[in-house]
Amino acid sequence: MNILLLLKNEALKLVKKTRAWLGPILIFILIMVAFPLTIELTSNNLSDAFYPVLFISILLVMMLATEGIFLEDYEDGTLELFLISKKSLSQWVFLKIFMHWLLIGVPISLLGAFFNLGANNDLSSSLMIFPALLIATYIFLILFCFGNSLSLTKGSALGTLITLPLTLPILVILGKLNTAIIFNINYFEFLILIFGVLSIIIFAFPAIISRIIKTHLE
Amino acid sequence: MESSYLIEANNLAYKINEVKLFTNFSFSLKAGEALHIKGSNGSGKSTLIRILCGITPSSKGKVYKKDELVFSYLGHKNALKTYLSVRDNISLLGLSDHEGLESLLSLLDLSEKLDVIVANLSFGQQKKVALLRIFLTGADLILLDEPFVGLDSNSHDLLCKFLEKKLHAGSGLIYTSHIPTGIRSKDITLD
Repeated sequence: MNILLLLKNEALKLVKKTRAWLGPILIFILIMVAFPLTIELTSNNLSDAFYPVLFISILLVMMLATEGIFLEDYEDGTLELFLISKKSLSQWVFLKIFMHWLLIGVPISLLGAFFNLGANNDLSSSLMIFPALLIATYIFLILFCFGNSLSLTKGSALGTLITLPLTLPILVILGKLNTAIIFNINYFEFLILIFGVLSIIIFAFPAIISRIIKTHLE
Repeated sequence: MESSYLIEANNLAYKINEVKLFTNFSFSLKAGEALHIKGSNGSGKSTLIRILCGITPSSKGKVYKKDELVFSYLGHKNALKTYLSVRDNISLLGLSDHEGLESLLSLLDLSEKLDVIVANLSFGQQKKVALLRIFLTGADLILLDEPFVGLDSNSHDLLCKFLEKKLHAGSGLIYTSHIPTGIRSKDITLD
């Protein structure tokens, strides 16, 4: 089974399960639309509070997007077949996360940049926040997938609780990035920093997750 | 392991939470032979099949397989996506272009069900879709865990004929079944 077939399979499974990808996107839109209604509508207040709300909502939405990400394949026996096929389980985990990012993370990053335009009325900051959101959504997806794999048979809440502390450093960096965008200083340094985090975990975590899933199957 | 053997198990044992399911289980299987694993519920038949597949590690003993042995396995779980159509499930397996697909679909009475969502099929029909994978893969060794459960008499006979044909062609077969099959096989009972 080649990589293209695996990717096609994951895309087919995700696209046909509308609530799995549309649900998180709709919730993100709902938060972004509802948040300006809950504060006093002066443009200063709105732009000050926008980034923290954006980052926290991305965190929550990615958490929702990964809920039960491996459970279905575990319960219906797909993972067992994959294991005996001698194909790389970590490659499958990598592709599954990538497909979730493509169908959920990328649209949310685009929407985040779009809502930034609405909140700050500034195209350059939207262009700056977009790559940061692309990276952050991928990192959050990987971390929550790790949590989900840990609590594969125990429900996703436990895994999320375990993983949540791992997301805090990323939120701190995103907070710094927020300041960097506002004052237009050190933006690329912080962008490279979160890209560095992503480049480490993007291959390491699928290998760890596949090992955890294998243990569950045994 | 002798070169003519497809698979050989030596002194396999499995215990779960210090409860022994089976101990000192040994057998060997040559091409064209079938092994029927019998035993009461909870005796460890499914676990044994999973050990032979390499999914579950045994507590003791070793399984030797012929180099580059291709095997197919159907357990209690059908590995079907119930929210997808039969056609989509077949394409997930990468079998859409298989030359024998059309004839098998009609043989299994599934031609009319290609665009039906799997969740709307009966248990037996779902089992037939899962069996397609076994029918279409050219495996040297077939491992089946209760494959006849849920099948009507026609499908039962069809599966038996197919398995006998595969045995005749030189494949090996290991299966568990509470339903009499008529397949000529060595019997091993787990107690």
